[in-house]
Amino acid sequence: MHYLLTFRSLTYAQRAARVLERAGVTGTVSRLPKSVSTRGCAYCVIVSARNRERAVNILTSAGLAPERVIARDTNGVLEVGE
Amino acid sequence: MIYLDCAATSLQKPASVRYAVSDAMRTMSSPGRGGYESAMAAAGMVLDCRTALADMFCVSAPERVIFTSSATHGLNIAINSLVKPGDRVVISGYEHNAVWRPLYGRGADIRVAASQLFRPEAAMDAFRRLLPGANAAICCQVSNVFGYILPLEEIAALCRRAGVPLIVDAAQAAGSVGLDFDGLGCAFAAMPGHKGLLGPQGTGVLLCREEQPRPLLYGGTGSVSESVEMPDFLPDRLEPGTHNVPGIAGLLAGLEWLGRRTPAAVLAHERELAAAFCDILSGSDKIRLFRAADPSCQAGVVSLQIKGVDCEEAAERLAARGIAVRAGLHCAPLAHQTAGTLRAGTVRFSFSPFNTFSEVRYAAEQVLSLGV
Repeated sequence: MHYLLTFRSLTYAQRAARVLERAGVTGTVSRLPKSVSTRGCAYCVIVSARNRERAVNILTSAGLAPERVIARDTNGVLEVGE
Repeated sequence: MIYLDCAATSLQKPASVRYAVSDAMRTMSSPGRGGYESAMAAAGMVLDCRTALADMFCVSAPERVIFTSSATHGLNIAINSLVKPGDRVVISGYEHNAVWRPLYGRGADIRVAASQLFRPEAAMDAFRRLLPGANAAICCQVSNVFGYILPLEEIAALCRRAGVPLIVDAAQAAGSVGLDFDGLGCAFAAMPGHKGLLGPQGTGVLLCREEQPRPLLYGGTGSVSESVEMPDFLPDRLEPGTHNVPGIAGLLAGLEWLGRRTPAAVLAHERELAAAFCDILSGSDKIRLFRAADPSCQAGVVSLQIKGVDCEEAAERLAARGIAVRAGLHCAPLAHQTAGTLRAGTVRFSFSPFNTFSEVRYAAEQVLSLGV
């Protein structure tokens, strides 16, 4: 299980990944799957299930709260929160 | 060749700039257009450059740093965003055509805060007089013709007190004279990447305060693609189309070089060169030098006139002796009008971190020989 933290632009996703990296959390910038994209092309930061809560807290504190948090398992995509 | 036309563009760049451009052309594609390695490498480099610029110019968020093709492009975005037809806009007496023409084209009511050269108090008085009732103000940080450093901090404070948004033209200052963008509370600041910041031609930067400036260009941004409207966030709102990735890579290398040398050290070096140049020429009654009595009012740009020699002819004769300078009006007729040099123009010598004292001495000796 992984979580996709979505952002409004590539720049925000990159900044988020760098903030996480500095805090010791691995996050990978990736294109957001079309099936869950609500406004067309978008980017996300992928974090492990273990790091989900910590990552969201770190980013919120840094003023970079993700727009949505989406769970992805081996069977596909499942949205779990706004 | 002795290159003394750095106010036009910095021909001499750190070698790392060339290598970065070449490397980007081989390894980087378009940021925001894919999740594959070359696109992400480009995106990472572009963010590095945005962040370096935000740090250098005290901008709190890198997304408020916009890449443009030139300072002119950035000034057009800023003017298009802030100024409506008929708006009253106060500008300094030393503005470039990159300010004057877009304002004229936009139908602005232009009020020139004209003031004597190298007289900061007079510049402040002129702004103080004209700001009430104005819709916007524009001020260059350094005159591209005379190297005059305008009292930007004081003018920005006057604008804040009057509630007038300020656009800064930092074209001649960026890379040597510091700018605290957030601290000054400016609406926009525009600058080229290819002059003092030592990047390649075709690069420019616009710093934005407001979240939703009016776009000048419309198109694809790799974001919010289902909407017919431009994104409502920066930098995407002002950066449609493919980025100049090799140019931005070169600009980043230039910024890294500057960061090691420091802009303050560059300014000190250029001022020393300018002082050495002026000291040699100041004894001649054939040379009219535009030199500030207070050295803190002038950056590394010096204009002069040679009695009995047309400025264009002087530049041509210097070029024949291997010295590259610019003559005429320097795309800033307003500055010449303010300084009283509109009819004759001037010959401009502008120095860079790569110029040496021996080059400057040779150039000064050649100028002296023209006036004989």
